[in-house]
Amino acid sequence: MDSPAANAAFAKQINIKFPLLSDMNRKMLTAYGILKNYDTHGDTYQWALRANIVVDKDGIIRHIEGGDSAVDPNTAVSICTDLHKKQTAK
Amino acid sequence: MKQLLSVCLLFAMSPAIAPMSAEPQNKDEVAKMTLKVGDKAPDFTLLSDEWKTVKLSDYHGKKNVFLAVYVLAFTGG
Repeated sequence: MDSPAANAAFAKQINIKFPLLSDMNRKMLTAYGILKNYDTHGDTYQWALRANIVVDKDGIIRHIEGGDSAVDPNTAVSICTDLHKKQTAK
Repeated sequence: MKQLLSVCLLFAMSPAIAPMSAEPQNKDEVAKMTLKVGDKAPDFTLLSDEWKTVKLSDYHGKKNVFLAVYVLAFTGG
């Protein structure tokens, strides 16, 4: 897992404006069920699935996808956009 | 776009200990994803790239959160 220091260098490199988090102990990945084991050459390694998750202001999951489909963030962005529109229309 | 996506948290991971020459076997791509839409998102506390503590619950009642989990992110390990 990347350290905060490695993330900081990357965030600076591409001018990221949002928090870039490190899950060094894999707690979040485990809690969200997106940490999986890969068996290769007689050993087991743990990697995370690629995943997009939208959580609303109440802490409720409004969208969750993992694996290949999560490479494209457009679905999650669309859901997040609709969520924002509904909230601001109230 | 910026105002629509209230906050985006990006998780960067890289397999620092994995042998890069070997293709991992992928047996159950999404089998472990147990959370679903409508579930309460498990809270977490993680360190940001600025070495600040970020809690998911800090955004409750304030902002929607877009969690993007990246494997083999762009940091080079």
